[in-house]
Amino acid sequence: MTVASNVKQCIATIKGIEAQLSTLALHSSIQESQAMFHEMMMLIDEVKQDLEQRKNELELEEPQYKGS
Amino acid sequence: MITLPEWIQIIIRAIVFFAALFIATKILGKKQISELTFFEYISGITIGSIAGEVIMGLDSSIMHGMVGIGIFVLVTFLSDILSIKNKKFRDVFEGTSTVLIQNGKLLEDNLKKEKYTIDGLSELLRDKNVFNIADVEFASLEPNGDLSVLLKKENQPITPKDLGIKVAPVRESQTIIMDGQILDDSLRVSGKTRNWLMTELEKLEVTLDNVFLAQVDSFGELHVDIFDDKLQVPAAQTRPLLLASLKKCQADLELFSLETKSIEAKKMYSKNAKKLEMAINRLKPYLH
Repeated sequence: MTVASNVKQCIATIKGIEAQLSTLALHSSIQESQAMFHEMMMLIDEVKQDLEQRKNELELEEPQYKGS
Repeated sequence: MITLPEWIQIIIRAIVFFAALFIATKILGKKQISELTFFEYISGITIGSIAGEVIMGLDSSIMHGMVGIGIFVLVTFLSDILSIKNKKFRDVFEGTSTVLIQNGKLLEDNLKKEKYTIDGLSELLRDKNVFNIADVEFASLEPNGDLSVLLKKENQPITPKDLGIKVAPVRESQTIIMDGQILDDSLRVSGKTRNWLMTELEKLEVTLDNVFLAQVDSFGELHVDIFDDKLQVPAAQTRPLLLASLKKCQADLELFSLETKSIEAKKMYSKNAKKLEMAINRLKPYLH
């Protein structure tokens, strides 16, 4: 496992979390919970963007791992 | 007039009075059944015994019994309405509660007024799982003879509020399948569709006619009980799993920040690890 693939794996998990939070926000019947899930989804999105940027940097540094 | 055999008369009277009592309780409502006040207690007993008397005593007329029951229903009904309108009337007819323990001290005068002995009071307290009078801050005897007890703060059960724990709000669950039948009304109340329900059931690998009971909670998760008790239905686990994967990601980010040699990346990783940690802390009450 290379650093790049580890980061990619983490990004995938983060995306999964984001999707699940979105589902929970949609399915909750209480506004307070909806707001909480939504807010956390946004926060996770920020993390995801940072990680994706890092992934691109890594791919530039180690082009041999691109796409793996 | 032909006189029917006695047993047939009893059958007829029983049916007639059953109907009469049914109507009477419908008129008087749930309040009558709970027998909260002296008045309801008396009228409950009397209506019942009039009916019993007339059903078995063939000498008494059905009409007379009906009149008796009617009067009791009417008076109880009127007193209910008057008590809603007037506080003074309410105090007289429905009674007021008597304070028996205040500030942790027994009020002997009130105890005497209600003709309770200390044994009687301790029995009522034991009924409320209080075995030590010193634990009680306040107790009052309600008009229906129940004792309401407020324990001293240190003896009260601990709540999340006491511990300063934030908990997720919950609403009542909606029952959406009963005996294999979809209850469309509650489905609508919970804001779900039949389509959604079918997909969820498919996910759990159960068929609709095998579901005895299904409820949807305020997180929109489906909980089912099926007829076949030997089959195991997986419990809803999305939320605990989500918390677990959040924790995993957070740990991963911490690890990356330790591993990387680039200072900038280190900063980025630890910043995001902190963000995730915050998210975990805030989501924890919701995801348990």
